[in-house]
Order: sequence, then structure tokens, then C-alpha cells
Amino acid sequence: MTEAERPHMIRDAKGKRPEFYDAPGLDHAMSMIMVLASELAVLRDRLDSAERVAKANGIDLAAGIEALELDQAALETRETWRQDFLGRLFYLARKDANEAAAAESAEGYQQAIEEIAEG
Amino acid sequence: MLNTFQQASHPILPDATRDEASRQEFAKSFKGFIQSTLLPGLTPIYNGRVARAFEKEVGRAPQDRRDIRRGMVKDLYFQHYAAMNRIAQELLWESVATSVDRQLPELVERAKALSAASKAKLEIPEGFVPPRYVTALDIHCMPGGYCSEVTADDIAVGALYDRGVYLYSMGYTGPDNDDMGRSVCNYLMRNMPDFKPKRILDMGCTVGHSTLPYKELFPDAEIWGIDVGAPVVRYAHARAAGMGCEVNFAQMSAEETTFPDGHFDLVVSHILLHETSGKAMPRVFAEAHRVLAPGGLMIHADLPPFDLMDPFTQFILDNETWYNNEPFWGAMRDMDQFALAEKAGFDRAAARFDTAPMAVMEFAGGHDGYSQEAAEGVAEREFTAGEFAPGGGWEVFIAHKAETKALAA
Repeated sequence: MTEAERPHMIRDAKGKRPEFYDAPGLDHAMSMIMVLASELAVLRDRLDSAERVAKANGIDLAAGIEALELDQAALETRETWRQDFLGRLFYLARKDANEAAAAESAEGYQQAIEEIAEG
Repeated sequence: MLNTFQQASHPILPDATRDEASRQEFAKSFKGFIQSTLLPGLTPIYNGRVARAFEKEVGRAPQDRRDIRRGMVKDLYFQHYAAMNRIAQELLWESVATSVDRQLPELVERAKALSAASKAKLEIPEGFVPPRYVTALDIHCMPGGYCSEVTADDIAVGALYDRGVYLYSMGYTGPDNDDMGRSVCNYLMRNMPDFKPKRILDMGCTVGHSTLPYKELFPDAEIWGIDVGAPVVRYAHARAAGMGCEVNFAQMSAEETTFPDGHFDLVVSHILLHETSGKAMPRVFAEAHRVLAPGGLMIHADLPPFDLMDPFTQFILDNETWYNNEPFWGAMRDMDQFALAEKAGFDRAAARFDTAPMAVMEFAGGHDGYSQEAAEGVAEREFTAGEFAPGGGWEVFIAHKAETKALAA
């Protein structure tokens, strides 16, 4: 029997899920945030495990991390990563500003659909 | 208090990869955080904001739990609190379901082998139909509920429950999840040291976690655990066998068992009643009376009735009804258990509510994560409605079956 064919757990509980927030979509967004928080905790645990396993094998990773001096190349690599990350996190703000700059609007979008339909 | 409690392993408990274990720990920690940190904020929110807004809108102060709820559901703090409670519950089941799913075929085989090696009885009758009050909704949002089967000889939801309920209780119920049974046993030991039941029935036993302490206290007794869910009963039998306990299990309804009249000296249940229904609960009392021998005891460990609480406390507790698929949670607390007991044939004057002290301190020092400090933190805290369990102990309803029927005058 393949993995797909074998019996599997039921994943959703029967019974209409209540909505807690007035804003549409916020119930979903909050649960997604908490799933991400959970995965962050998993990752943090895993790093902690890595330090403990290394230590058990004679490498004090945690102390090494604390003692690590970042050279110029490392500083640049990290700052580049952080700025890229923030850029990705705020891609909608970038988009919003670009739309404002280009004077894009919902009306303009609708107009484009109509114009293109006509040729 | 740092809750470091860890569940003890046994041969049929699903294992977890490190990442699965971290997800499960997160769900447990998240529940703890909500109860220790978000829950207390509801009181100032209600007093300082919601009660005033309600009075302004309606022209009178909120009077009962329904009024309070009407006001609170509009407040963003409460919305966050209730949403986070629900999400924590969902993350909890999801974290365990993923883990059980990975090893399901092996668990099914292992349960079969453990059960086959046990001398204790396992009875799963053909064609048993579980009652609607456990199948209409998946109680406490556990996917599949107690009765769903996805394969032959299924134990999936039993495994899900055993691990999930440990996380739900955040380990307060002890390394073997058995604090409720253990607490009632302690109550019997301290208050009725001469009571030595020969036959014991545990109604609505799920995975038999509360059933096994009775075997420890009364090793010579014949013990039966019954439940309406076939997968949880199978799992219970394998679990008991794996833990070296000879306890019988059967798929049966507490409303109508197949045991003869007067068969048992002690009939117990643990958090069963609030998962039945308005019609079933009186029938459970009547059935307990029927199967009890004269002089026998019925003990139900469940939720205290609403009439002993202020409306705000009632409101907090009733959130389970609305947000956690617990349809009878609120209504059960309005039932007059003394009247039910009397109607079932018990002596009203001999029925009482009492407190069975939590057994959590017994685990301190001897089990993983059960440090003295953490156990004391649970046992000695002031109980706030909305927390998993009171520190002092479980509410038990106790009724006594008369020694002999009074002679007609």
C-alpha cells in the first residue's frame, strides 16, 4: 500500500468554526501568524538542540557564537540579508508607493480591461 | 511557574520527532500563556470597558452570563482571547494528528499485539451505534471525535486523545494523564478507608487513563471501562496491557450497559457528564443505580454547577460551549444533579458535592519535568475560571445506593 493509499488521520473537526473578528480575513490571518510563531519556536528549539549536541561532542557552539567577532564581510552579508528580508516583508508597501507614483487606481485597472477587450 | 511537565512514555503512546515534539510543546506553552497572561486581562476589560458600554447601550447593567457575552464579543481584547484559545486548540490537535498519522499503521499493529497478549476482556459489539451527542460535533474540536474509524482495528483517535489531552491539560493531570482517577482514589482512601469494592465500572473511560488508578488501589477488583467510541476502547485495552494492568474494556453506552443488576460496588465517571445530553444524563444516573449493588457508590468527577458561581465566571466557562464544540458544557451546569440522583433511586440526603484533591503533588520529583516547584505551582495556585483545572481539587458528585430497600409502611 502506498503512502497515499494507506489510511490517514481525519484533520478537521466537525462543527462550524466560529468567527471572532469583525474584519474579513482576520481570523485566517491570526491563525496563520500563530502557525508561523509555532514554526519559529520549532526552529529555535532545533538550534538549541544543535548547540547541545555539539557541546556533548566537545564543541561549545553556544560560547563560540557569543565570542564570534563579525568581520567586515560578515557585517555586510548580514546587513544585506536584513535589508532584503525587510524588503520582502514590506513588498505591499513598495507596491503601494509605486502605484501612488504611477497614479495607478482601481478605476484605471477597470478602464484597461475595457480598452483591451475592445482591442 | 515554569511548566516543564512531560508525559511518560508507554508502549502504545505515539512517539514524536524532535520537530513534532517542539510543535506540541509550543501548543502546550501557548495554552499556558493564554491562561496565565491573557485570561486575567478579561476582568479589567469587562469592568472598565465592556460593562459600561453595555449599560450605555441597553440602559441597565449586564445581569447574567448572556448579557456579559453580548457585550464582550464586540471587544477586541476578548476577540483576541477567544480566537487565540481556539487557535491553540487547533494547533494542539494538528501537532498531534501529524505525528500519529506518520506512524498510524505501526500503531494499529502494535495495539493489536498488545491486546492479544492480555488476559483482560475487550468487547466491541457488531453494529453498535454511538449516540448523536458525541457524533453531531467533534467534541473539543478533536478531529474525528471519539468514534471515527479510518481503518480496520482502528485506534487512531485513541492515540490522538492520549497525547492531545495531555497537552490540553498542560500536564496537570500527571505523567500518565491519570490525575482525575487518582484524585477520586485518594478521596476514597482518605474518607472511606474501609471501602473495598470488588467490581468497579468506569463510565465514558475513553483511553482508560482515569481507569487504571483504581486497579492500583484495588488490585483484586474486577474493573471495566466502557465508552461509546470503538477506537478509544481498543486503544485503552492496548494501553492498559502495555502498562501491565489487567482491566477490561468494552464499547458500551453509559445510558444502557449490558451488565446485570447490582453487579458493581463502585461506579465512577471522569469528565463524562458534560459530554452527554439533557436526555442522556438522567439515564446515566439511572443506569449507575441499576448496576450498583446495595450500599454501592456512584461518583462523577465533572464540572461544578453554575449556581455556585458569579455571572462573570459563568460567562468565562461557557466560552467552551460556544468556541470549543462542547454543546452540553453550559447546559450541564444548569442541571440539578441532586434531583437527578433522587429520581434515579439514590437517597437525596446522602448525595453531596465534595472536592477530591488533585494528585499532582504525588508526581513531584519522580517524573520528567515534574519538579517540586512546578507541581506546587499547579497545586497551590488560586483558581481562575478559564484555567484547565482548579488547584485545590476536582469537584465530585457522590451518591450512595441504599443498603436495602426501605420496607413499605
